[in-house]
Amino acid sequence: MIPLVPTQNYLILAALLFCIGMLGVLVRRNALVVFMCIELMLNAANLTFLAFARDRADSLGHLSAFFIIVVAAAEAAIGLAIVIAVFRSRGTLNVEDITIMRH
Amino acid sequence: MDSLFTFFTTSPVHAATFAQSLWLIIALPLLGAFICGVFGRFIGRANTHLVACCSVAGSFVLSVIAFWALNDRTTAALIHGNLVPYTLWVDYGRWFGAGSFFVDYGLLVDHLSGILLLVISGVGLLIHIYSTSYMSHDDGYWRFFAYLNLFVAMMLTLVMADSLPLLFVGWEGVGFCSYLLVGFWYTDEQKAFAGRKAFITNRVGDFAFIIAMILTVLLGGAIRSEIQPANFHNVALQKTMYQARMNGMGPLDITYLSHLVTNLPAHAQSAKDASLTLDSKIAQGPLAGHTVGGMLTAILLLFLLGACGKSAQIPLYVWLPDAMAGPTPVSALIHAATMVTAGVYLFSRLSFLLVFSPVAMAVVALIGAGTALLAALIAFAQDDLKKILAYSTVSQLGFMFMAVGVGAFWAAVLHLVTHAFFKACLFLGAGSVMHGNHDETNIKKLGGLRKEMPWTWITFLIATLAITGIVPLSGFFSKDAILGFDHRTTLAGLGWVTQVVWGVGLLAAFGTAFYMSRAYLLTFEGERAKDALVPHAHESDFAMVMPLVVLAVLAIAAIAWGIPFMEGHETVMENFTAPVFGQAQQLAQRLHSFAVAPEGEPFWSSWLTPLFFAWGIALAGGAVAAFLYLRFFPSREGQPAPALARTLRRWAVDKFYVDELYEFVVIRPLKGLAHGLYRVVDDFLIDSLLVRGTARVTGWAGSALRYVQTGDVQSYAAVMAVALLGGVVYVLVAVFK
Repeated sequence: MIPLVPTQNYLILAALLFCIGMLGVLVRRNALVVFMCIELMLNAANLTFLAFARDRADSLGHLSAFFIIVVAAAEAAIGLAIVIAVFRSRGTLNVEDITIMRH
Repeated sequence: MDSLFTFFTTSPVHAATFAQSLWLIIALPLLGAFICGVFGRFIGRANTHLVACCSVAGSFVLSVIAFWALNDRTTAALIHGNLVPYTLWVDYGRWFGAGSFFVDYGLLVDHLSGILLLVISGVGLLIHIYSTSYMSHDDGYWRFFAYLNLFVAMMLTLVMADSLPLLFVGWEGVGFCSYLLVGFWYTDEQKAFAGRKAFITNRVGDFAFIIAMILTVLLGGAIRSEIQPANFHNVALQKTMYQARMNGMGPLDITYLSHLVTNLPAHAQSAKDASLTLDSKIAQGPLAGHTVGGMLTAILLLFLLGACGKSAQIPLYVWLPDAMAGPTPVSALIHAATMVTAGVYLFSRLSFLLVFSPVAMAVVALIGAGTALLAALIAFAQDDLKKILAYSTVSQLGFMFMAVGVGAFWAAVLHLVTHAFFKACLFLGAGSVMHGNHDETNIKKLGGLRKEMPWTWITFLIATLAITGIVPLSGFFSKDAILGFDHRTTLAGLGWVTQVVWGVGLLAAFGTAFYMSRAYLLTFEGERAKDALVPHAHESDFAMVMPLVVLAVLAIAAIAWGIPFMEGHETVMENFTAPVFGQAQQLAQRLHSFAVAPEGEPFWSSWLTPLFFAWGIALAGGAVAAFLYLRFFPSREGQPAPALARTLRRWAVDKFYVDELYEFVVIRPLKGLAHGLYRVVDDFLIDSLLVRGTARVTGWAGSALRYVQTGDVQSYAAVMAVALLGGVVYVLVAVFK
């Protein structure tokens, strides 16, 4: 019988993952890497859901995790398409140079 | 003779069934207005004429049937359980209501509104026919006939309404049509201005009318709830009946109001103890603390201001002479025969209220007398034929108010009817003169039309004789009845009023003869003026002459109403309107609000005295006019007048500077106030501070915040992260405090 890992460990891991992801989003210049960091944050949220789902024996958490996976997949598909389109039109993926939202 | 009598007093239709169709009398001209206004331009001139005339003719026929039905002894209407004889009544359902207040679409035709129905649709029809020729050169013919039909519909609504709000619909409607028609040639700035002046002056009166209606509702509620058992002879039964009779009626229905005041005695000393009287203070409600009689007088005076606006009395008469800017048939129909008599109609309708207040009656009579004299004086010196007739109308309306003010309601209605005939004839005659003389209205530049326009001449002469009160014509009977009542009546506590009114009335009657003779002589007699626009006038065509002849015949035939051959020397009109004014007369006797001295002398003597008196006054007026205008006043180009005559005349020509007085006392201060308010409230507060201020603050905030928007996704994300951090810190602090 393997002893159960306490829930708070999962939560700490998720928080760490989230912070790493956020830091990446804030400091990295390459849009592709920023994108990967967002995935990291989403999965941190996923992990939190699953930890609580196990802790409370509530399958609603699992459901939310699946839902997030689907949304993340869709988001990745669209996001990568945008990244490619931006690279084709501008020749760069440096987010500091991409400031069209100002207009 | 008997069979003829039976024929005319047997209703051709079943009255209660016919009452259901009363709405058609209004709907036909309304439909005509719609067709003329919307399709008039496409269906052509002749078809427009056909539609306009036929719609009014249709309502005339229906009015005749209604009038006929009213003569039947068996005709009676069951108004919410109350049997009212000689009345057609119909209720088409709820118009609006809130709580115990409601107004129905109800139409009521009794002997008063029956007479007016005939006058409005009959004279209206003649004027429609006249207009087909008069407006034959105007491109706006479809607009004209649409307005004219709309006017007839509105005027019929006014007289058939069974409640004050519905009457007010007609009241406003005719005012609106008057505005449209006075400003009919709106490309001329002055004419458009005259339309506005008519409308705005009427607004003053309409405002008072609305306040009076509101107060009537409040006062009616107070009387109904506070009436005491002592007000009734047989307490339990009669009080229940009193309340039951009014159930189902709206608080502004005419019938409701007449029931409401039935058991109201005048003063404390003449009534049993604890009765509700005119002196009682109202205990509850918004009017608490005021006396019943005081409120009633206030209401009547407010109604009087409303009537002054519509019927062109002092102080609101100034719009009517300017309203002559409209086409002449309009002046004849609206500003002589029908609309301007609405004030007289209103007081005849509310006769049972008016007799409660001798003060209000005195004010009505004095205003009428003052207006009659002032307008006659101004008419002395006007050179514009239509202006003379306009002031003459104002003056004659003053006579009607003099009659209403002394409780001689039937005399007022008689004068209303006869005036409608001869004044419409005079106006249409003036239109015919204008038509034949290239739109010349200055009587000094006319003259000698007697031979050139024979039909216009003879009809104008008959109408002139009628208005001056020459004996065999209708004007004598109505004016004599009014002056007779003014002489014989004494208002309670205000004995001097009627004598003043009588004296002023005689002067005004003298003035009538003076200005009408002058207008007639300068227009039709003598040589043609040297500076006339056309060397020879031409007589108008059949469509214009026919209404003139019919109206002239009616001006003579209307004497049938005024001859006292009914029982007790009653005139036909007095006898005929007795069902309507009977309540007022009974109330007046019980309240002692006024007393009428008996004629005293035997029939033939009293018959002949006023006859010679009227002859004398009319002939004197005419003679003075002829004398003065031949000797002292300039009647034609090249006849200089003495200085004194010129100065006297100057004042009358300039209308005693009343317009200028209003300009300085009312219009200028109001304009100044409006300008100040415009500068402070509109320009500064709203435009500068609120509207432009908001825009400026938003602009500043935007230009300050634009530096935040860099377009850099990561800086946005950083802001979000910091905000998130702030949230986390807040939660931590809140949890671990």
